[in-house]
Amino acid sequence: MKARNRGSRKSAKPRGETYLFRLFVAGNESNSSQARANLARLCEERIEGSYKIETVDVLKDPSTAYENKVLVTPTLILIKPLPKVTVLGNLNDTWQVLAALRLTPVQR
Amino acid sequence: MSNQKLPYRELETKIKEAEELIHALRTHQVDAIVGERHVTLVRLKQAEENLKNSRDQLRALVAHMLSVREDERAVIARELHDEFGLALTSLHLGLSWISRKLTPGQQPLQEKITSLSATTTSLIRSVRNIATELRPGVLDEFGLVKTLKSQAREFEGHTGIRCMVKTNAAQAKFDRLAAVSIFRIVQAALANIARHAEASRAVIALMKRKNGLILTLTDNGKGINRSLIVSHTSLGITGMRERALALGGTFTLRGSRGKGTTLTVQIPLSRILDSRVGA
Repeated sequence: MKARNRGSRKSAKPRGETYLFRLFVAGNESNSSQARANLARLCEERIEGSYKIETVDVLKDPSTAYENKVLVTPTLILIKPLPKVTVLGNLNDTWQVLAALRLTPVQR
Repeated sequence: MSNQKLPYRELETKIKEAEELIHALRTHQVDAIVGERHVTLVRLKQAEENLKNSRDQLRALVAHMLSVREDERAVIARELHDEFGLALTSLHLGLSWISRKLTPGQQPLQEKITSLSATTTSLIRSVRNIATELRPGVLDEFGLVKTLKSQAREFEGHTGIRCMVKTNAAQAKFDRLAAVSIFRIVQAALANIARHAEASRAVIALMKRKNGLILTLTDNGKGINRSLIVSHTSLGITGMRERALALGGTFTLRGSRGKGTTLTVQIPLSRILDSRVGA
């Protein structure tokens, strides 16, 4: 399991929350790479400094994926804040992803 | 009340998840499928692209091979006609000359010469037929429409199946390779009708329309079943389809039991009309 913590870079946390994402990928396969890049970009744009992304490579760690009931990759799970949200795919559709993760201005 | 709603909400969530999964799969956004023991990589989009590329390459190769084969056929037909045809005609003339020089007392020799002369005539006819089969001279000399009419007459003579040609493209000038391809498609289709259709009537229609040249061959035979149409072992059908696709066209074959078979080939005019002459 590979984790990246960018939470310490800036303290501007929306409503004081730190977002915790778990992104399941398959090595450097096309959709997985896109999902990684898209998630990093969205987080930087929307919740800079207030997020943590745990990346799980299912090729190296399939059991974690199975335990999390992940069927396919890429799968993104918003762990915190609750309720949990699962988003499938390469996260190219920015607005749908933001809406699903409750990161749109209206929903925030 | 909230307890009663729970199963419904769970069901709704599951349906939403399933829909998302289907969407991700359909839009090729899935890299891997995770199982308890195995992770299976999914490269559908890449596989589809590879398959399409392979298919395109194969089609280009087939088109090239067909073109090379037609050129070779033309050369062989010319050689057969010019070399063998001429030699056999000389032989025939020589035998006739000898025959005229024989005296009435040389009856056995006369009979032998007559027999050899008949064999030579038969050989000349065979060589002419083979040369025509390889490359119908009429196609180069008189064009596609007249060749199709000649082919229809010949087919009728050989099989007893009535064969008509309908066309509005008698004046059109066709590209040489395209004309050969259409002729070969008709030749193969007629061969299929003769062998399998049990028909009494066949119609060849070659129509020039705005959207392309449309060739249809219909018969009133026993029809064809779908498994034969799509079978890779139906080499005649595969060959016709490849020739049509090589011209950027489409190929369809429809048939129903007892109601005959219809073959339709549609080719864009830009690919079939001789650009040097124009329509």
